[in-house]
Amino acid sequence: MIRFINAELCIGCGTCVENCPLDTLRMNDEGKAYIAYGDDCHSCYLCELACPVGAIFVHPFKKPFPSPFSHLKEGGEDNA
Amino acid sequence: MLNTPERITTDILVIGGGSSGLWTAKGAKEADPNADVLIVDKSFRDWGGLMHLSGGDLEVCRGGDSAEDWVKDFTYYWDGLCQQDVMETIWQQSHEIFEEYQRLGCTYLKDDEGSYRSVPQRSLDHVRLFPVAVKGTGGPNARAAMIREMERLGVRRLGRIEITELIKKNDRIVGAVGFNYVTGQPLIFQAKAVVIAAGIASWKPSYNQNTACGEGPCLAFRAGAVLRNFEFLHIWNVPRDFEWEGQTVLMPLGAKFVNREGEVFMNRYSPILGPNTDPHYITRGMALETLAGRGPITLDLSAIEEKDHPIVRPKAGRHLLHYDKLIDEGIDFFRDKFEWITQVQLSNGAVETGENGETAVKGLYCAGRCRSLDPGVYMGGFALMTTAITGRMSGRAAAEFIAGAEAVDLDTKAAASMLEATFAPLGKEGVTPAEVLTDLQKIITPYDVSILKTAGALHRAQQQLQQLREEKLSHLAAADPHYLLKLEEVKAIADVTDFYLTAALFREDSRAGHFRADFPHRYDDWLCWVNLYNEGGRAVPKKKFVPTADYKFPVERFYCDNFTF
Ligand SMILES: Cc1cc2nc3c(=O)[nH]c(=O)nc-3n(C[C@H](O)[C@H](O)[C@H](O)COP(=O)(O)OP(=O)(O)OC[C@H]3O[C@@H](n4cnc5c(N)ncnc54)[C@H](O)[C@@H]3O)c2cc1C
Ligand code: SF4
Ligand code: SF4
Repeated sequence: MIRFINAELCIGCGTCVENCPLDTLRMNDEGKAYIAYGDDCHSCYLCELACPVGAIFVHPFKKPFPSPFSHLKEGGEDNA
Repeated sequence: MLNTPERITTDILVIGGGSSGLWTAKGAKEADPNADVLIVDKSFRDWGGLMHLSGGDLEVCRGGDSAEDWVKDFTYYWDGLCQQDVMETIWQQSHEIFEEYQRLGCTYLKDDEGSYRSVPQRSLDHVRLFPVAVKGTGGPNARAAMIREMERLGVRRLGRIEITELIKKNDRIVGAVGFNYVTGQPLIFQAKAVVIAAGIASWKPSYNQNTACGEGPCLAFRAGAVLRNFEFLHIWNVPRDFEWEGQTVLMPLGAKFVNREGEVFMNRYSPILGPNTDPHYITRGMALETLAGRGPITLDLSAIEEKDHPIVRPKAGRHLLHYDKLIDEGIDFFRDKFEWITQVQLSNGAVETGENGETAVKGLYCAGRCRSLDPGVYMGGFALMTTAITGRMSGRAAAEFIAGAEAVDLDTKAAASMLEATFAPLGKEGVTPAEVLTDLQKIITPYDVSILKTAGALHRAQQQLQQLREEKLSHLAAADPHYLLKLEEVKAIADVTDFYLTAALFREDSRAGHFRADFPHRYDDWLCWVNLYNEGGRAVPKKKFVPTADYKFPVERFYCDNFTF
């Protein structure tokens, strides 16, 4: 998942915003990229690879998906 | 109040600019250079769909194999659910696509003697994958090559646009509506033919696949097309904490999943095939091992030989960056043991079409993963090859259709009222799409709903879905146009969940990617597809029998018979 964009390093070129398939990133009023919709990130690294100044850090771990036992924890029947 | 919709006119509207959409446009333009072809994609313009993120490896029928050999393999692997004529045409064309990609600058791995390296798939006699020359460059290179083709051919492309509905007039498709989710601009597209190349549905598993959410099959279904193969899910074995691309080459080259005791458990479930098989069978084994208390499951890579490292180890691009980042976290994929889990990733259901991608609706075509070919078991390199071929087929067919079709003016008023309905939740307060997505993931994930399915569990899931529809889906709201996109996505995922549960409950049989713990065998009266028909908005399942009398090759061997489940 995307962790941060270093505003000090960002030169405001907009490349990461253009290259995010999920529209996770946007430009703010100061002309810097920021994480607008962080929840949508699917860790593809396209932004980080495209950034010319290395301002972006995407962590390699993904968002957890519900467990296959979630129905059991919630008191459902076990048919498996 | 809705902004005034912008109206855009084209000859062929292609929804989705992934592998299949790009090949559709190429096929259409090569067939009729004067046709105006417009690709709209909800992601950024020219992103290239999942192909951009993919390995780029291709299945190619070559090197002494005939398309007939491959059709026999597929008939066996798919437990009879193989449209033999269509698949024969596909494999006849695969070598041409392989050569075209190379002409466009893509490269594939060769050995020291200059022969192509290949990796057999799923212990089949013929089917094999051809890996790219430098692991990590394949997808981006294929995407760049196809974008250059779009420039050369004069294909128009637009990005950041979600298509939300097709427009019909006199039973023919004449366009679509949608909106730009960055600017919030509503859009009306008028077209003589529409090709849906919008991929399949994902439950957003974070395996770089959170883009297509089933809007394609849902659009087609609402317009009157027939759906197929929805009882099959795309379930993958994945590292618990991160993604890893390239499993289709690991297993044939010696990787083995093991349980807590270090046992290669697939030997128990299939003494014939052992660990080298499809994730849809391995995940069944993983679920059973976990339920028996023999988890966690890990992957043993010790048998992979040095000579095969170029095929499995990332060398460039995002794949290498990912590998290096894991190292920074103290994880060496090739050295360490870590937990693997099963994960519902995609629906395998899509649209039933004729040979050239034509649907039951005039002027509407489907291509790529949005066109249904396969019953849920997968082989490496299948998707990129078949999306290219079915894309090209649809593009050519659409070009032929528009040559003989009259232009039809669409009803702007009706289109605008469709858009009004789409925009209704904008700026309102209510349930967020993210909340509904988590609920949908919870409904689909349990083992007894997705892997070791039972009627009781599928009914339970249907009730949960119904409750979700009443309590949350009808109260969805979008704070801004971005969230309006997310809202459209979860609506589609909910419909796909419904299609899945309907079809999975209907098929009282186990074959290929579908396993019913309460009907654990294959039965002769289920040698059929489950088609879903739109009857008053409801998806009604019906059997469509495999035309064995017209088949060139008999259905006499079944891959699922190799397992003891
Ligand atoms: C990490 C990874 C690695 C892979 N590696 C390989 C490999 O090595 N070999 C192989 O054969 N396959 C591989 N695959 C699978 C393969 O890449 C895909 O199955 C294939 O590219 C799908 O093509 P498609 O055109 O059918 O769909 P997609 O690529 O999903 O394209 C559909 C497009 O439609 C757009 N869209 C969806 N809905 C709408 C809408 N309503 N309005 C407008 N646009 C819309 C989406 O944004 C998307 O761009 C891999 C996949 C992944 C994720
Ligand atoms: S990693 Fe991918 S999805 Fe996430 S912010 Fe970057 S480009 Fe977007
Ligand atoms: S690509 Fe890098 S420099 Fe350019 S806007 Fe994004 S973060 Fe800033």
